[in-house]
Amino acid sequence: MFITFALITLLGAVGMLLQKNVIVAGLCLVAAFFGVAGLFVLLANPVAAALQVIVYTGAIMVLVLFVIMMLNSHEEEKAQAAHPIQRWVSVALIAALAIGAVKLVLASPGLKALAISGAAVPQAMTLQKVGFTLFADHLLGFEVAGLLLLAAMVGAVALTKRNL
Amino acid sequence: MTGMDAILQGGLQGYLVVAFLLFALGLATVLLRRTLLLQFMGVELMLNAANVALLAFARFRGGDAQAMVFYLFIIAVAACEAAVGLALVIGLFRHRDTTDSDRAAGLKQ
Repeated sequence: MFITFALITLLGAVGMLLQKNVIVAGLCLVAAFFGVAGLFVLLANPVAAALQVIVYTGAIMVLVLFVIMMLNSHEEEKAQAAHPIQRWVSVALIAALAIGAVKLVLASPGLKALAISGAAVPQAMTLQKVGFTLFADHLLGFEVAGLLLLAAMVGAVALTKRNL
Repeated sequence: MTGMDAILQGGLQGYLVVAFLLFALGLATVLLRRTLLLQFMGVELMLNAANVALLAFARFRGGDAQAMVFYLFIIAVAACEAAVGLALVIGLFRHRDTTDSDRAAGLKQ
């Protein structure tokens, strides 16, 4: 099961990277988000999986697809100037980062110990547990997050309105 | 479970490898594509990679609920980023009639 969802996620991400049409790239990203939601289910965390589907695929991606269709920019515009050196340097750096990170993960003895000590599947995460932790330990952060959302809403309206 | 086996069977290392590869793919999208909307999607993907790593660690530490709280905060920040970022893209499109980041390199028109 893990490898299926991991492949859905990674292939969706690769599809987004390579796809010419912006809308199809967005739909590839939706597939990747669904794959991540599947991974969250395998991590005994159905709450996170539900939130992932509702917020990312349901709200954020719909907003992005709305904007793509509103601006009518389905295709990537022609490049003004080719930047071959920058592109190859960034490809090499990203490949080095990915390979280095994977090697580090596989070589780390601490992660190996943690994987063995935590191998037993814990009780599934419940909304009740999340709520207790959120409102008992992180009430201030919760309020700040609410304020941040309000500020973002006001900012988005102010930025898109033609004459305020 | 060690090495290749852990990756295929879904041990902690497997989830972390997926998270790192997702992050690399998101970064590649931001660096290699020119359309601002696609770069924005790449940023969302990088945030998601962090979520995968966070919740994988939480599961292997016995179902820690603190990670869920941080996941909620990351989602809230991602939603704010989506709203403001898309508003900025729309503003740029109104002023310059483009969504290409190369064409928006200068501050003055």
